[in-house]
Amino acid sequence: MKVVGARIPRYDGVAHVTGRTTYVDDVRIPGTLWAKALRSPHHHAGITKLDTRPAEEMPGVHAVITWEDVPHLVYGHLEALGIPADEPLLAKDEVRYKGQPIALVAAENEELAVEAVSRIEIEFEERPALLDVRKAFDEDAPEIHKEGNWYRHFENEMDRRQIRKGDIAKAFEQADTIVQGVYRPAAIEHAPLETQVCQVVPEANGRLTIYSCTQALYFSMGVIAAHLQVPLNKLKVVGGTTGGGFGGKVDTATETMCCLLAMKSGKPVKWRWTREEEFLCSSTRAPWHMEIADAVTKDGWILGRKMLTLHDAGAYSRFSPYGLTKHSFHHTGAYTIPNLEFDGYVVYTNRVPTTAMRGFGVTSVSFATETHMSRVADVLGVDPIEIRLKNANRIGDTSPNGIVYTDPSTVSTIQTIAEAIGHELPADYRTMTSEPRSGEWLPEHLVAQTANPEDH
Amino acid sequence: MNLTVNGVSHEIESDLLTPLLDVLREELGITGPKAGCHQGGCGACTVLVDGEPRRSCLVPIAYVDGGEITTVEGLGTPEELSPVQQAFVHHYAAQCGYCTSGMMLAAQAYVAGGGTHDTEAIQEALGGHVCRCTGYSKIVEAVAAAARGDEFDLTETAVGKYTTMTTGGAE
Repeated sequence: MKVVGARIPRYDGVAHVTGRTTYVDDVRIPGTLWAKALRSPHHHAGITKLDTRPAEEMPGVHAVITWEDVPHLVYGHLEALGIPADEPLLAKDEVRYKGQPIALVAAENEELAVEAVSRIEIEFEERPALLDVRKAFDEDAPEIHKEGNWYRHFENEMDRRQIRKGDIAKAFEQADTIVQGVYRPAAIEHAPLETQVCQVVPEANGRLTIYSCTQALYFSMGVIAAHLQVPLNKLKVVGGTTGGGFGGKVDTATETMCCLLAMKSGKPVKWRWTREEEFLCSSTRAPWHMEIADAVTKDGWILGRKMLTLHDAGAYSRFSPYGLTKHSFHHTGAYTIPNLEFDGYVVYTNRVPTTAMRGFGVTSVSFATETHMSRVADVLGVDPIEIRLKNANRIGDTSPNGIVYTDPSTVSTIQTIAEAIGHELPADYRTMTSEPRSGEWLPEHLVAQTANPEDH
Repeated sequence: MNLTVNGVSHEIESDLLTPLLDVLREELGITGPKAGCHQGGCGACTVLVDGEPRRSCLVPIAYVDGGEITTVEGLGTPEELSPVQQAFVHHYAAQCGYCTSGMMLAAQAYVAGGGTHDTEAIQEALGGHVCRCTGYSKIVEAVAAAARGDEFDLTETAVGKYTTMTTGGAE
């Protein structure tokens, strides 16, 4: 423990306070072109005409790209993990969210680039938009993807993330009370001070040098190489300095398109999103719809939980199946509930695609489960801290997906919180430990789920 | 037009209505001020114009012709940090650093104007500056320390002449 609690130098502290830190926007490359995007003004529409020639003919415009310029148009952020690709780098015949990029120009300065974008001739056939995740399953819901309005590729081609544990019917039969709740945390924009920004230099040796604000450099490298269909040794990605990300710079938002413009024009290209673009077009933390019904006893044991989650992925799946999987594993929070019936869907809407943000998938379910624990305590008229300790994960308890806890810290954490807020606990709760359940802390409904940690 | 930036005089060629931020960054290559929003909302582009903090993205260059501009680069050097810079390092008031240069110029103006360590007064002075990393507490602590005239032993917190990196692995 040399570092915890110690004052240590920040390796970039002095550079930050003297203005010496070189962010992507601060990289100076003579002759750099400015990129601007033509984005969808509609939530959902067909593209019936796209003519970029008026922009290409403008003096000072060096490259215009559309879907036709992308060697491998549709690539999935998690394709390597078996999640099928569904998102084109540039929209082809349909736009599925407001702000989706359709074409980009590279021009000698920012004003010219804006002007060139405005000259691109485009026509849309507007379609009904689906913006409420709860309506995605309706018969008359707008169709977002041909295969349907929710992701269908969990293991064994299941259309949901499903968890079944114990005997849920019995738990609900035995319950004294059923406590229900609906939880709907909204989308959150990361809003880093540095908007999405990228610079790409086509080098004389045929490589591309990519200055990126990415939070996930090697990941971005793979995405770029896949779209461009080039080997990794053609890409030199320079990263490591990010002006705030919080998960919003895990998606590869700018790099591939800048590469295409640099390759087509033969010149360095820079794309820096405006604050407006950052708010309207960049990915957000997802909004979630969660319904919980708990089978509880009047003395505060949770016998069983039924849960339905609708994860609003936005228009494309990106990381959402992964986020929902984490969500499902955590749907009992830090507590042990032996009988479970969980169904979670990654639902498509005509909103911007959602992405990572600080524990994505888990933060939503933590909000729901903690709020719900307090609601259960409130309904039963029991102490909200005691009910948490009672049901807290202990050594030998099993998680929703069958992991046996060997070193959970829930009990000591909650006791520390109680002490910090001056919440008096009865002696048996104050002296409780994480040791395997026994006596009054091992009621009959928990016997079957309890494992021997020595076996794990 | 002419600008004196961090004590150095420059003839300016940009158009009259070019924002000061763009003149500094694009014409003069002084990149400390950041284009966080380009609409006066975030404070990352703040510089001192004749000692007063100004959003450089909203100031047309003609408006400050002949003026004295201070950017973060003019506060102090890595070898000789200014008191405000020392306070920001000591209190870990910078995380990603993107808002830091603007924050520090607002702090510099506040301290130079006789501002005290009063939390509410500091919050008022830095009110228009957005930081998404820190939660602001450490920034306010740093400004209060600078306002009190605290002296810092930076051997524990700053890399450079003060100490060498000992924790390893960060870069």
